Amino acid sequence: MNNKNNPVYPFSAIVGQEEMKDALLVNVVNPSIGGVLIKGEKGTAKSTAVRAIADLLPEKRTIKNCIFHCEAGQTRYLCPSCRKLIESGKVPEYEDTKMRVVELPISATEDRVAGTLDIEHAITAGKKKFEPGVLASANGNILYVDEVNLLDDHIVDLLLDAAAMGTNFVEREGISYSHPAKFMLVGTMNPEEGDLRPQLLDRFGLSVNVVGEKDTGTRTEIIRKRLEFEKDPYKFCESYETVQQETRDRIEKAKAIINGIEPDDLLLETSVKISLLLGVDGHRSDITFVKTSAAFAALDERDVIRREDLIKAARLALPHRMRKLPFEDAKVEFDKVDAVISESYAR
Amino acid sequence: MSEFMYFPFPAIVGQDAVKKAILCTLVNEDLRGLLITGERGSAKTVLARSAASILEDKKIRIIPQNTSEDRLFGSIDIEKAITGGEIGIVKGILAESDCQMIVADDINLLDEKIIHGILNTAETGNILIERDGFSEEIKTRYILAATMDPEEGELSPQMLDRFDLCVETDKINSESERIEIIRKCLEFENEPGHFLENHENETADVREKISKAKERLPYVMIPEALLEMIPELCLELNVSGQRGDIALAKTAKTLAAIEGRDDVVFEDIKQAAAMTLEHRRRGLPPQSPPDNSDNRNKDDESENEDNEDNKPQENPQNNSRPNPPDKQGEQNDSPEPEKPEEDEQKEDPQDIPPPPEQVFDIGSAFSVIEFLDERGRAKSKKASNGRRTRNISHDKSGHYISYKHRDERKNDIAIDASLRAAAPFQKTRDKKGLAIRVDKSDLREKIREKKTGNVILFLVDASGSMGVRQRMVSVKGAILSLLNDAYQKRDMVGLMIFRKKEASLLLPPTRSTDLAYKLLKEIPTGGRTPLSKGLVEAAKLLTQGRYSKSMDSKTVIILTDGRANASESGKNPYEELQEAAGKVKGKGIKYVVVDTEEGFPRMGLAMDLAYELDAIYLRLDELDSSKLARSIESIVYREQLA
Repeated sequence: MNNKNNPVYPFSAIVGQEEMKDALLVNVVNPSIGGVLIKGEKGTAKSTAVRAIADLLPEKRTIKNCIFHCEAGQTRYLCPSCRKLIESGKVPEYEDTKMRVVELPISATEDRVAGTLDIEHAITAGKKKFEPGVLASANGNILYVDEVNLLDDHIVDLLLDAAAMGTNFVEREGISYSHPAKFMLVGTMNPEEGDLRPQLLDRFGLSVNVVGEKDTGTRTEIIRKRLEFEKDPYKFCESYETVQQETRDRIEKAKAIINGIEPDDLLLETSVKISLLLGVDGHRSDITFVKTSAAFAALDERDVIRREDLIKAARLALPHRMRKLPFEDAKVEFDKVDAVISESYAR
Repeated sequence: MSEFMYFPFPAIVGQDAVKKAILCTLVNEDLRGLLITGERGSAKTVLARSAASILEDKKIRIIPQNTSEDRLFGSIDIEKAITGGEIGIVKGILAESDCQMIVADDINLLDEKIIHGILNTAETGNILIERDGFSEEIKTRYILAATMDPEEGELSPQMLDRFDLCVETDKINSESERIEIIRKCLEFENEPGHFLENHENETADVREKISKAKERLPYVMIPEALLEMIPELCLELNVSGQRGDIALAKTAKTLAAIEGRDDVVFEDIKQAAAMTLEHRRRGLPPQSPPDNSDNRNKDDESENEDNEDNKPQENPQNNSRPNPPDKQGEQNDSPEPEKPEEDEQKEDPQDIPPPPEQVFDIGSAFSVIEFLDERGRAKSKKASNGRRTRNISHDKSGHYISYKHRDERKNDIAIDASLRAAAPFQKTRDKKGLAIRVDKSDLREKIREKKTGNVILFLVDASGSMGVRQRMVSVKGAILSLLNDAYQKRDMVGLMIFRKKEASLLLPPTRSTDLAYKLLKEIPTGGRTPLSKGLVEAAKLLTQGRYSKSMDSKTVIILTDGRANASESGKNPYEELQEAAGKVKGKGIKYVVVDTEEGFPRMGLAMDLAYELDAIYLRLDELDSSKLARSIESIVYREQLA
């Protein structure tokens, strides 16, 4: 279901950058992993990949006509009107909506991000009404911030706030309102433009470092595909439709499988051992590591988590949670991590 | 069931100190304000909000980062004014939260007026509203819990002092506890409703414990000897003001009540001191044994560490204080009270034997201090790097905090404030079919606040003078370490060198350690010393173009021995330098001259330059990079904090 007016380069046609693609896919399978930060130089297909993932996103069941797209079958994250509706005992109407990518431009102002007083309504009707902002549209969707390291501090504070509990509380301009804002945060950045605040860094479930492909053959392949796409985008997208559909099916299947995967003791123990070995801060890394391992297994159509899932997950969930020391790049000693994993999973 | 599902309090693994502090604030509402500090991901927010699960008749109210003053304090009711022509007030969060609990996450990131409002009202129980033509006083009492990550910036000592209690989250290193944490988090996420049900019994137990403690609290006594120890402790710890004393006494009583005792014992004082005095201490707790050595020698230290758990009130041998033998009270400080709470609460309070009469000598206070110091060291305090300077923004960027009468030149109208200003006149105005008519005189504009950082530019003599290589190594090191420390992305550091006939910008001011690393790999050196040229170029960079408009504070660090020997105009290099210095000084730039002159006799030319520039003059015995970075940090930040 590509937007016919503005075709997007298909995800499956992206050459290489497997780690980045994996990171996006596991997040789609389990959005509670908490998004991904993609670091790398300009022109490494970061934005292309994020925009392309939109075409693969699954449908979800939401309450009909709710501007916040409150998800069906749960009671924890509901907007005030849906809560009222459900508590009054009525059965809401549902509809299937596609998860989408909501973009947050770095020039966004506070009122547009958090939501604000509906000016028109105030002037014409003399009543206060909440006008939802980007955090509202982002509920249940992907919130994409390009150049996330250039985002203003106070906007970052708003994001952190909402991310903390999956709810956006608004107390400004005469408005007092709260609505669910559970989103998958996807950010891209070029480290040469500055670092990210550690608090925000920690909110990203996963991180990947992308580097430009070095191999001439691969590079030629990239050029060829890009030119082909630009020549006739519709035809190009069509030629990838079967592969895209396969990926969509794979995601659907994985989503079904993952519900049945119970993280076992072995996985939890291994995760904790790694955290202690590396001395990572807090517990978010443990939780994302466990979830990511399970998502990898599910993508491979297994309900048993294997060694290779952990190895892949470690590379995505750990690096950005290491403490940086002066004069040193934060590097994870993956050989040690892999040794721990192999030891635990040596069957 | 509350509107939101919060993680149940008893299900939180570990973090006993924080949990106890939360219980204290819930039991004793006279305790004003609890601050939970800790690293990111250490469950601060979860802990603070989990209080919702054990509140009996209260709700929690969250103060989000986007809070504006009108919502916090209250404002004119626009709807009423417009539709009914009545002047009424809409209560703000503080007034609405009367008899409720307020949770402020990342309080250090909130606007200062907002923080002040929350803390002040918590203390006095009063809001004075002088806004929108109102003058009103509203009474409100709420329980306050706030969280912060000190790495993102500290609160000022005055603000910290307003919190009666302050606790830091523990870093959990036990494998089994960490596993338990993951398991519980996953369970809660998957089926929150189920999870809450599973913990309902425990939660009810805690609620019951709180209400029992509340009943007991008025009857709890502090023995005279312990009471006397409190001011002594506060003085010894250099705690300023009376708030610490009072908070300590209240907390100790509350702890006793929670444990089901009618008498405060030494252990209560000790625990309470950790919660109430640590954040009020003037100066940091000793970080490592050597810092501490003015009082005791090192051998003592280790000895005390061993004794710590068993005999806290034993006076260290070598203490300069008199040291009468102590006998009593030893029984009370056994680790007992920290045991799991379930045991305690089953016990009928009557069964607990009354504690023996306690006599405490002067030395007892010291054992508490030892205990605090020990904790301070164990917590491996990190310096807070995230200091932010806040400034009123002059363009439309920044966080909308308040409003003022409109300045015609700017088009940043505060709609809400303008509507409020217009509201009282709606009855008499011709509205032409609209619900509200706003006149020009009603218009208000937004006051926005922006957090700013620092631009630090190194201007380094790279001529062929003595010690140039070492100088470059130190500067490079200092730049990287400054960038690493300042990686909250607020501060920018750059490097300009001067040699031969020119000044060149090697590293444009950046926030990126990556970039600095790449660009500073090689620094060319050698040639003559065009010091005046360097000075002019550095000032130009910061006052023209990109950096001129920024509200960041600007500092130029000049590393030189002051021996200029190349001039551009053909004049005497020193005359030219003097002229240049006269031109660039002031202009909103702070100068620091680091004298690199070596050997004897010294000519003191760098000091002359510092004089010409009104600069801070610095001479380091050894030009070592971390020393350099630290001195610069203290210069740059000291003035901001003042």
